[in-house]
Amino acid sequence: MVKTLFEKSQKGQKAYSLPKEDEAFTSFQPPQEYLRETPIPLPEVSEIDLTRHYSGLAQRNMGIDTHFYPLGSCTMKLNPRVNEWAAALPGFTRTHPLAPDEMVQGNLQLIDETLAFLCDLCGMEAGSLNQNAGAQGEFVGIRMIAAYHREKGESHRNELLIPDSAHGTNPATAVMAGFKTVSIPTDENGDIDLEKLKAACSENTAGLMLTNPNTVGLFSPVIMQIAQIVHEAGGLLYYDGANLNPMMGIVRPGDMGFDVMHINLHKTFSTPHGGGGPGSGPVLCKKRLEPYLPVPRVREEQDGYGIEWSNGTSIGEISSFHGNFAIYLRAYLYMKLHGVYGLRRIAEMAVLNANYLKARLGHLFTIPYSQPCMHEFVVQADNYLDKGVKALDIAKRLLDYGIHAPTIYFPLIVKECMLIEPTESESLATLDHFVEVMEKIVEEIHSDPELVKSAPHSMPATRLDEVKAAKEPILKASSEQCACC
Amino acid sequence: MDFVSNTGEQAKEMLQAIGVENINSLLTAIPEAIQLDPPVKDDGLSEYEGMRHMEALAAKNTFPSFDHYLGAGAYDHHTPAYLSAICQKSEFLTAYTPYQAEASQGMLQTIFEFQSAVCALTGMDVSNASVYDAANACAEAVLMAKRQQKKRRKVLIGASLHPHYRGVVDQYLESQDVDLVTVPFRSDGTLDIDFLEEAVDEDTVCVLLQYPNFFGVIDQMEEVSARVKKHEALFILCANPLVYGLYQSAGELGADIAVGDMQPFGLPLQFGGPYVGYIACRQGLVRQMPGRIVGETFDTEGRRGFVLTLQAREQHIRREKATSNICSNQALAALATLLGVLWYGPEGVKKLALTNYQRSAYLKEKLTAIPGISAYSNAPHLNEFVIRTEGPLDALIERCEKEKIVPGLPLERYFPNMKNHLLVCATEKKSKEQLDRLIEVAGRG
Repeated sequence: MVKTLFEKSQKGQKAYSLPKEDEAFTSFQPPQEYLRETPIPLPEVSEIDLTRHYSGLAQRNMGIDTHFYPLGSCTMKLNPRVNEWAAALPGFTRTHPLAPDEMVQGNLQLIDETLAFLCDLCGMEAGSLNQNAGAQGEFVGIRMIAAYHREKGESHRNELLIPDSAHGTNPATAVMAGFKTVSIPTDENGDIDLEKLKAACSENTAGLMLTNPNTVGLFSPVIMQIAQIVHEAGGLLYYDGANLNPMMGIVRPGDMGFDVMHINLHKTFSTPHGGGGPGSGPVLCKKRLEPYLPVPRVREEQDGYGIEWSNGTSIGEISSFHGNFAIYLRAYLYMKLHGVYGLRRIAEMAVLNANYLKARLGHLFTIPYSQPCMHEFVVQADNYLDKGVKALDIAKRLLDYGIHAPTIYFPLIVKECMLIEPTESESLATLDHFVEVMEKIVEEIHSDPELVKSAPHSMPATRLDEVKAAKEPILKASSEQCACC
Repeated sequence: MDFVSNTGEQAKEMLQAIGVENINSLLTAIPEAIQLDPPVKDDGLSEYEGMRHMEALAAKNTFPSFDHYLGAGAYDHHTPAYLSAICQKSEFLTAYTPYQAEASQGMLQTIFEFQSAVCALTGMDVSNASVYDAANACAEAVLMAKRQQKKRRKVLIGASLHPHYRGVVDQYLESQDVDLVTVPFRSDGTLDIDFLEEAVDEDTVCVLLQYPNFFGVIDQMEEVSARVKKHEALFILCANPLVYGLYQSAGELGADIAVGDMQPFGLPLQFGGPYVGYIACRQGLVRQMPGRIVGETFDTEGRRGFVLTLQAREQHIRREKATSNICSNQALAALATLLGVLWYGPEGVKKLALTNYQRSAYLKEKLTAIPGISAYSNAPHLNEFVIRTEGPLDALIERCEKEKIVPGLPLERYFPNMKNHLLVCATEKKSKEQLDRLIEVAGRG
């Protein structure tokens, strides 16, 4: 049985070392009545056993470095190691977030240049890097929209329009920021239904949250009309930048009529996904929303860069300090290496790879939207329901063939949905291999459906009992397992 | 440069398979009027050029050449060398959120162990997989408390909470149906418990306090806790987790929610991020918890395994009814801090905390023995304290900076009436020679 580290404790073993004690220090003792009395139930483990434990766990996990990972909406592209090298430079890692401005000019220049580059790329005019992830970026963007309406004396605008195909974060963010959500249906072409959008707009409309290309991978050909409808109703347009990868150097959200947006740097700009973070969610906006950007902000001054910690119009703070600096530092280098020239190439190749896969998979699955896609596409894996095989089963069987599953059952509007995003990183050989594997799985569905329905068979675990996990939650290692207490 | 694999020839072959002439034919949904012309000039860099550029930028930061005494939510501790070796392992670095549990057992188990370590330190029942940072953890904790106590409206927050954290709490609470009441501190930085006693009532959602507080002061939290409990308000304790190696745990103090930042256990300062917000609570509050939680279960063969659980709280399932919009958290940074905690172990965490206490206590005693410098507070501390200068603080700072020392954080920016107050932090990294040098330079005035 797999053991947690807490079950590997051996009394008295240790890994740590501390600087030598000095008589000058040891005479100081904290007041007794405040001291902790209960033991700290942590395991006692030497460094070799710690290292082996976590090396072993790494081997029980798939990553982009080890497997093709076509997880739609997540843009699992190469995480270049040069980014890691840069983030580990002591000149960056040893800087304190409250250091005097003149001692961290390199950091401040990096922040200023990152924002300038992103603004240029997205057709925006100002921004902030303080948000620690895309969801926090959304929250800030929506708070800025609220501040804008309040300033104009239109606080009654309390509704945000959100397509039914949107990421779950959009409605969750809207509610967190105090708005009501109005869901806009998707039409048969996978686009926002313009008539329904018009009907939903009112004097209470604060804005529209939109992903373009949307979550089925389609660019909206009526984007300019959408922008016009919302703006004429007095609302603002929020761009969810989760799908920015195929847009770079081709078209800019600012030119589509968006007023404010966020970017997920761990998607488009190659910062490591890290098993679910840390992310980074820059917010960019047009001039009219700039006053509301969060603080602190970096300002270029006569004799270098300075930090503005507060101002009268900002919505205020969103993170402890300056956001995930060591993450946007990686994105900065990635942009520097590519230039706009290289970023456009990324966008084109992401579109090419996705359309190629879509064309090659058409004989196996229903393709609900036949028009060219952008960086990702959906297949409807409902062709094999009569054999009892669902999208979930196909996803699990892919794991056995050494391919990470696509995103499944999202967006919710497509039945037995698989959202596939190969990214620009992948080569033709990998894409062809993916198609061959899918063909093989379809053969298996016909010849031995049970094999697929009970997959995976070669992973560190077979299917896990999620109902038990939720009904009888065990959420930490029990302290009896730990030898120290 | 770029990291694209396919050649022009391969691209042609793929276009043929799709049945179009060129890539532009795939972009026809984009209105022509807003399409950009392709850039003609390659404005990128080679990897080597990029590396030189980053080195030059890093060299513009002079701060690392100073001996500094800054803390205030970002602490300069030793980072065990094995941390980066583990965190840079491909399968941790380049995996995504463990949606496919069978292919993500490694990451899921590390999150489970992170939750266990946070519970061990804080003495709480349940932890989640991490939130962004301490400020975010404070805000999410108050939102949790409000969900639990829907009918109550009053939220009490110590004025001695880190001002940045307070700013973020305000940010998240503005659209909530709550009244924020600030509990003042006394002239020595300790909480005004009488004010608190007056203010807590049947309408109080929760009380949020920091431990040690922004001034490094350890408040009498047992007394506070008793007063909060009397009215069934929830007690939220925001703490530098190192405190739990020395002083009473959140569990011992009767806290309902324990939050803070795991950064002191192994993450470099890196200009303030990524850090790791932690959030732990009593069992009874688990369904109000935001973000990812990993639980233990079995697979179909009866083997132990781990899955994301209690997902009915989360945005990808519940959308507008979710407990929070958070999805990405700080997983890789959380792993780093887990490795930091485990490297120290139960004995090492205690010794680390004591070492921090002793070195800062030494510094505090010697600095405040200098004529013209006094202690702001005599309350217990961990590794931070505030000093007050009779003369202008700027003169002391300038003198130190000339000697390549940053002596601490001036507090006037946060509290305008705290002119000439300096927040000073000393960790285990400070040798006696370093401390004596600061004392000598400070004493020259």
